[in-house]
Amino acid sequence: MFDCRRLLVYLLFLSIFIFSDIPAFAHKVSIFAWVEGDTVYTQSKFSRGKKTKGAPVIVFDLEGNKLLEGKTDDKGEFSFKIPKKTALKVVLKASMGHMAEWKIPLEEINPPLSSESYGISRQEIKKLIDESLDRKLAPIMNMLADSYEDGPSLTEIISGIGYIFGLVGVAMYFAVRKKKK
Amino acid sequence: MHISEGVLSPAILTGGAALTAIGVGIGLKSVDYEEIPYIGILTAGFFVASIIHLPVGPASVHLILNGMLGLILGWKAFPAILIGLALQALLFQFGGITTLGINTFNMALPAVVCYYLFGWGVKVKSGRLIFIITAFASGCCAVFFAGILVGFSLYLNGEAFLPAAKLLVAAHLPVMLIEGILTATCALFLRKVRPELLEGLYV
Repeated sequence: MFDCRRLLVYLLFLSIFIFSDIPAFAHKVSIFAWVEGDTVYTQSKFSRGKKTKGAPVIVFDLEGNKLLEGKTDDKGEFSFKIPKKTALKVVLKASMGHMAEWKIPLEEINPPLSSESYGISRQEIKKLIDESLDRKLAPIMNMLADSYEDGPSLTEIISGIGYIFGLVGVAMYFAVRKKKK
Repeated sequence: MHISEGVLSPAILTGGAALTAIGVGIGLKSVDYEEIPYIGILTAGFFVASIIHLPVGPASVHLILNGMLGLILGWKAFPAILIGLALQALLFQFGGITTLGINTFNMALPAVVCYYLFGWGVKVKSGRLIFIITAFASGCCAVFFAGILVGFSLYLNGEAFLPAAKLLVAAHLPVMLIEGILTATCALFLRKVRPELLEGLYV
């Protein structure tokens, strides 16, 4: 009886550990990048929302040529001017073998506009619309960046345990059949 | 300590996968149907342990429990850890499918090593003090060796070995301590309720 109670206490302790929302260090990093005007903003974090501080971010084009390199700040953010009009691949390298990447397709990249256009040209209008859209969408982008990748959910944890018990069942079935023969 | 996809070169990935395949082969060779439930329960424990994060260190730190698996399962820790890591990769996107081999090897080899190093002490007949010390050492060292192996994998890939390994081991010091305590507590508990598990009948 005593042992049962002790086991219960352990289980309780473990479950508090598992399901409490300790803002902790994780084992998976993610990077989220979006374009505003001629600047690319990136936000990096470990699963469970911990920001990735001071980690190198490297920007490639799709052929794998390195375009530029930088480090995330204390908020896990890093931004850079679009170096050239091409689809970009933003790679985050956190320590201990962690890595994440985000691709920005060509359609999202607006090249810096040439200042030679006079009057209100098509390009100018497009630029104004883009600017105000970027401003309006910024909070939504931030919200998306925050909600992107927040660690495993309870459903995934439980389904994983379910898979394991299912595999045990299958293994048992074959082992017992072998034994009967 | 899950190495992400795209970090290591294909040669290291294949090497790790081959070594893991050998380990899994040795582990599966002697599985009897009576022990399948134990392997399953420990696999589930390993699978869930990775979600328990500890608020220390500069990066990813979470429980591993490979020492405990090694003590009870011996070589069978290889298949158990392989399944646990595969599900973590599929469901949580921790690590990855291509790095499954090397990640399994990095976690499971320390488990087996600890079984041979400390398994002799974690028996029903051994004295309480020796029992606790060896169980603690097993939980502790399994994490330590795993850190060294992950550092070594990164070294093979061209990173400097000492800084990488030092960082990994330093970040995992609290995990080593907690896993040592956890392994000792669980082993003591098993000694009371399921002593036959510790007698290596199933190993």
